[in-house]
Amino acid sequence: MTPKRELQIAFGLIIILLLVGVISYAAFPAKPPEVPIRMYYKSVAGNAMFDHKTHFAESGYALDCTQCHHHPPYPENLDDAILKCGYCHKALAKGQNYPDSCLDCHDEADLEDSKIAKKSDAFHSQCIGCHKEAGSGPTDCNACHVL
Amino acid sequence: MFEQKKFTVSHAPFWHVGSSVSTRSYNIIFAALPAVLFGVFTYGIPAVGVIALSVSSAITWEIAFNKVAKRPPCIGDGNAAMIGLLLAMLLPATAPWWLVITGTFVAVIIGKQIYGGIGANPFNPVLVSLAILTLSWKNFLDFNEVLVNYDFSYPMAYPLASLKHFGVFAISNLKPAALLMGQQSGGIGAIFGLGLILGGIYLIIRGYIRWEISISFLAGVWITALLFNMADPAHYAGPVFHLVTGYTLIGAFFLATEDSSSPVNFIPMLIYGASAGVLTVLIRNIGAFADGVVFAILIANLINPLVDKIRPKALGKVI
Ligand code: HEC
Ligand code: HEC
Ligand code: HEC
Ligand code: HEC
Ligand code: HEC
Repeated sequence: MTPKRELQIAFGLIIILLLVGVISYAAFPAKPPEVPIRMYYKSVAGNAMFDHKTHFAESGYALDCTQCHHHPPYPENLDDAILKCGYCHKALAKGQNYPDSCLDCHDEADLEDSKIAKKSDAFHSQCIGCHKEAGSGPTDCNACHVL
Repeated sequence: MFEQKKFTVSHAPFWHVGSSVSTRSYNIIFAALPAVLFGVFTYGIPAVGVIALSVSSAITWEIAFNKVAKRPPCIGDGNAAMIGLLLAMLLPATAPWWLVITGTFVAVIIGKQIYGGIGANPFNPVLVSLAILTLSWKNFLDFNEVLVNYDFSYPMAYPLASLKHFGVFAISNLKPAALLMGQQSGGIGAIFGLGLILGGIYLIIRGYIRWEISISFLAGVWITALLFNMADPAHYAGPVFHLVTGYTLIGAFFLATEDSSSPVNFIPMLIYGASAGVLTVLIRNIGAFADGVVFAILIANLINPLVDKIRPKALGKVI
């Protein structure tokens, strides 16, 4: 190869690959799947990975959606229950017993003596509760959390 | 100025295989293709985006530097393209565009050009770049985090992270053969071990890389991992696991062998390769990072000038 030809190849690579690169990034933005596959939580106690799909897939632990997406208890439509846990389990202001999001579906009168766990407590008691009950799955802090 | 008839004494590497620098670069790119294509099939369009952007931006940085430094363009030698490709192979398919462009800037300009260009860099430019990216934006390189949306028939927890954080038990269901065939999470071009080995064999046969470095690197990994494993099998994974996960194979055949940051004589090559291999497992087993290849090879680059002093005595030398 002559130096001139080598230069042409290099410039060709710049132009073609720049085009391909820009198109790949711009025209095909990665969109997250509708039902998440895995989640990766970050917290002061270290990151924690939750393999969502394996928990409900037939080939995995075959759990029912409503075992975790638990409220409303008997949803007419599963979608009503499939919300982020943090939608209902939030840190509350002083004097508040439940978050405003409950009022989407309930009257204030229904909720008089309701108490709601904050998000990380909800996670811990659900995840660890079931693992204890099932006798398998991590229950120790450092089996979920990675610093 | 460049037309002047002067004898130019060039810098290392002096090893000559009878072909030009550009043939060498493009042969290395060719040898990397099996692993690269496998990554593209696995991760799809996002992987194409990272690879294409990485190669094109690496060449662009190089020509830009040539212009600024008022030197004749050297992008024809294909070295920048090769750097771009190797960097892309180490990155996750989800790397954002700015990370890729920053990465190639660090590799081409800081890793290579400021030392005087090809042959003058004391460290492997690709690894300098990846080390800086790892230290600066570690979340974007955490395979567990950035590949959460990929779903395959095999477990997608990054094997070395599982090993580091959850112990040998967490990797007990991973089969080495499956890992070798690319059934693991990791960098775009680093997961398909078999492809990397094939590429490496091709490069060794053609004389573009030195088998002494690759083999001593792998032997260093193997022996160190074996010793740890024999001492405490409940804590430390076996040697085969270390060979087929993380950046081990791409490190052995494409990174440790980078010419200007590695030695040229037989004994030094063995020392250099083996120390990189030993350090890799030390970092993995008792260091701070899940994978140790990047820093291990950089440290070996550091001792390269030293070990390269061990050389055969010149015949008939008179003092
Ligand atoms: C083992 C418990 C568990 C099971 C079983 C489960 N999920 Fe989830 N799911 C979660 C958790 C935890 C989240 C995360 C919520 C958060 O981050 O606040 C989640 C989140 C989701 C989300 C995303 C919600 C959003 O707004 O981002 C969807 C959709 C979803 N799940 C669908 C399903 C479906 C459909 C099923 C049944 C096939 C199912 N899940 C079974 C625990 C579970
Ligand atoms: C639509 C609102 C809503 C959502 C979304 C929701 N919860 Fe709850 N959760 C409640 C309410 C209300 C209670 C208390 C009444 C009950 O037990 O049903 C509760 C109670 C709990 C409890 C028992 C608390 C305790 O102290 O024993 C756990 C555990 C829990 N939720 C976990 C979760 C997890 C994990 C998620 C996400 C996958 C989630 N919840 C999503 C409303 C919700
Ligand atoms: C998406 C709509 C929705 C939201 C948001 C919601 N709920 Fe409910 N909730 C329901 C439905 C539906 C029922 C079932 C009513 C029934 O069976 O009569 C229910 C039942 C209840 C009950 C009756 C006890 C039980 O478990 O059957 C309580 C208490 C309750 N919700 C509290 C809350 C609180 C507190 C919040 C806010 C954290 C909340 N809900 C948010 C829809 C919702
Ligand atoms: C309704 C029951 C249930 C709930 C709720 C649940 N899990 Fe599990 N989990 C299981 C079972 C069953 C296993 C299987 C353990 C096994 O077979 O090794 C498991 C296993 C796991 C494992 C180990 C997976 C592996 O590859 O070894 C992790 C990590 C985990 N769960 C995290 C979570 C987290 C985080 C949550 C809460 C967001 C959660 N789980 C909620 C039932 C549950
Ligand atoms: C089954 C897995 C699991 C186990 C076991 C577990 N955690 Fe967690 N933890 C999680 C997940 C998932 C979150 C993230 C929830 C969120 O985003 O708020 C979390 C969040 C946290 C947080 C952050 C709370 C906040 O408000 O940000 C702390 C602190 C924590 N965990 C401590 C612990 C400790 C201490 C233990 C041991 C007693 C433990 N965890 C055991 C899964 C687990």
